[in-house]
Amino acid sequence: MALLEVKNLTVEFGSEDKPFRAVDNVSYSVDRGEVLGIVGESGSGKSVSSLAVMGLIDFPGRVTADSLTFDGQDLLTMSPRKRRAITGKEIGMIFQDPMSALNPCFTVEAQIMEALKVHEGGSKKERRERTLDLLNQVGIPDAKSRMTAYPHQLSGGMSQRIVIAMAIACNPRLLIADEPTTALDVTIQAQIIDLLLKLQDDSDMGLILITHDLALVSEAADRIQVMYAGQLFESGPADSIFAAPRHPYTQALLEALPERSAGHDRLRTIPGVVPGQHDRPVGCLLAPRCRYANDHCIKARPDVSDYKGRDVRCFYPLDDHGIPTGQPADQTTGGMA
Amino acid sequence: MLGFLLRRLGDIIPTFFGVTILVFFLIRLIPGDPILMMAGERGVDAVRYAELKAQYGFDQPIIVQYFNYLLGVFQGDLGKSFVTKRPVFDEFMTLFPATVELSLMGILFAVCIGLPLGVIAAIKRGTIIDHLTMSISLTGYSMPIFWWALLLIMFFSTTLGWTPVSGRLSVFYYIEPTTGFMLIDTLLSGEKGAFTSALSHLVLPTIALGTIPMAVIARMTRSSMLEVLGEEYIRVARAKGLAPIRVVMVHALRNALIPVITVIGLQVGVLLAGAILTETIFSWPGIGKWIVEALNRRDYPTIQGGILMIAFLVMSVNLIVDLLYGVINPRIRHKR
Repeated sequence: MALLEVKNLTVEFGSEDKPFRAVDNVSYSVDRGEVLGIVGESGSGKSVSSLAVMGLIDFPGRVTADSLTFDGQDLLTMSPRKRRAITGKEIGMIFQDPMSALNPCFTVEAQIMEALKVHEGGSKKERRERTLDLLNQVGIPDAKSRMTAYPHQLSGGMSQRIVIAMAIACNPRLLIADEPTTALDVTIQAQIIDLLLKLQDDSDMGLILITHDLALVSEAADRIQVMYAGQLFESGPADSIFAAPRHPYTQALLEALPERSAGHDRLRTIPGVVPGQHDRPVGCLLAPRCRYANDHCIKARPDVSDYKGRDVRCFYPLDDHGIPTGQPADQTTGGMA
Repeated sequence: MLGFLLRRLGDIIPTFFGVTILVFFLIRLIPGDPILMMAGERGVDAVRYAELKAQYGFDQPIIVQYFNYLLGVFQGDLGKSFVTKRPVFDEFMTLFPATVELSLMGILFAVCIGLPLGVIAAIKRGTIIDHLTMSISLTGYSMPIFWWALLLIMFFSTTLGWTPVSGRLSVFYYIEPTTGFMLIDTLLSGEKGAFTSALSHLVLPTIALGTIPMAVIARMTRSSMLEVLGEEYIRVARAKGLAPIRVVMVHALRNALIPVITVIGLQVGVLLAGAILTETIFSWPGIGKWIVEALNRRDYPTIQGGILMIAFLVMSVNLIVDLLYGVINPRIRHKR
């Protein structure tokens, strides 16, 4: 059984009769020791889906799912108290902006010890020792003197290490990292990712790495899930996705990587933006931006189907050469973007 | 820390001068001659009038009078009351505990009611509870104190008979002042029922005085709390699996309190100003009532001394609030 099992997770905001679906029937699972990369542009619902797993979607938002289980326990039906015993202990989360993730009024040590106190108890002395261990573990130099520092005295990279220490304090079995490096300098980014992967490997954690950086997941993730406008577009093993994308969106994302644009004057881009609440297309959500879209794509919305062992949401999944299959050539509306 | 304290004390000095100038000259702009007031309805003949004028120094140029006054102030002499002939400072110190007692109770009431109201409104934002608490606080804020006080007296004292109408203690008790705080003195005296009497006398003035600060604190707490609840570190705290009550009371409130503390400090000034009205209405023997009476009699030294002391107090409280800031907010503490 997978560690985390998400089936048809939907998160809606706004009124009941005209809701906005931030996450639309997304399914995935993570095993122990596995790294799942969730990739997508801003507004693709990748953060919201992980917040839903953590139980951090607040009142106006509605979370529904066919099943949402952690280690066989149903997260949706359990009492809030029981769920809190899992959040923060079994599942840890790291957030995007470390500078605002730490409470400015409390010392580093107080904030880490708090999680330990709630979930593991023990004496203050034990907790303090464990905190010191954690700070050493996440590579904070001169950890002892940093214990009593306040967040405003720390740099961004340092803060993110503290946030990581906080998330792994109770030895979680699953760690969700929501764009853990977006707010950091490039040099620090690599360090933080290395740290996360080392921690994941050492304790055989499941890791969900949410990012919009494809290059990053290509190195780190075992499996990749591409999301767009709240929907799952493609998922499968990382290597095979990079070798042969089956969805036009994945293909376009890969082509936009600078490494793959060698020989071109300009970086390839995907024109347009992710549709929001008010400009959602009737048909395939990507249709207005897809270079292969035809009339059928504009009118009808595709479902996720299995294509060569990969989950793909497209009427005309790409073959090994990156050419749409089963599509009459004369129906394409757009040229190469 | 010390440098900060000295700087702040340095700020106080010009303010202090400003207050002496304002109070000294403004009083003399009010029509009415203190000597004629002292003489009463029978009046005084011209010779005696000139004598008295010389005795109180009113025959000198006003600038000279001001500097004489200032000289006195710097020697710790606020002058003697025209009416009672007692030193103003002594009178102030006798009456002051009554005002402090009332103000403390007022601010206690304001914080104890206003803070929870604001927190609840913020947590239940947009619901009927939020609207209800905010309407209550807006009503409280808009209510003139004197009218509100009269309503309270009419309802609780006259109609229901629950509380006394005015004064500090029932006439059946005589308590020798030791601390000047009636609640403490009655407890110390050990006389049966005296403490209850003192407490029941305090209830209505406390509510009347505390209502406006309560409303201000509630609104400030709500908006500050709403801002803080939207912060990322609140989400992080929840992601740690903390109970909602701990997230709100520890992580959010601590941060939300920073602006609220300033407001509480500012309200102390409002409270002392409000005490003048409240004390007059409830015949509370404090500074407020004392100054109003002095004003009616053109008792210049008393008015000047009283207002100067109040101004000094307000400045001191605000200084304390600034120092408290550092205790709550580490970002300020470390900047020095």
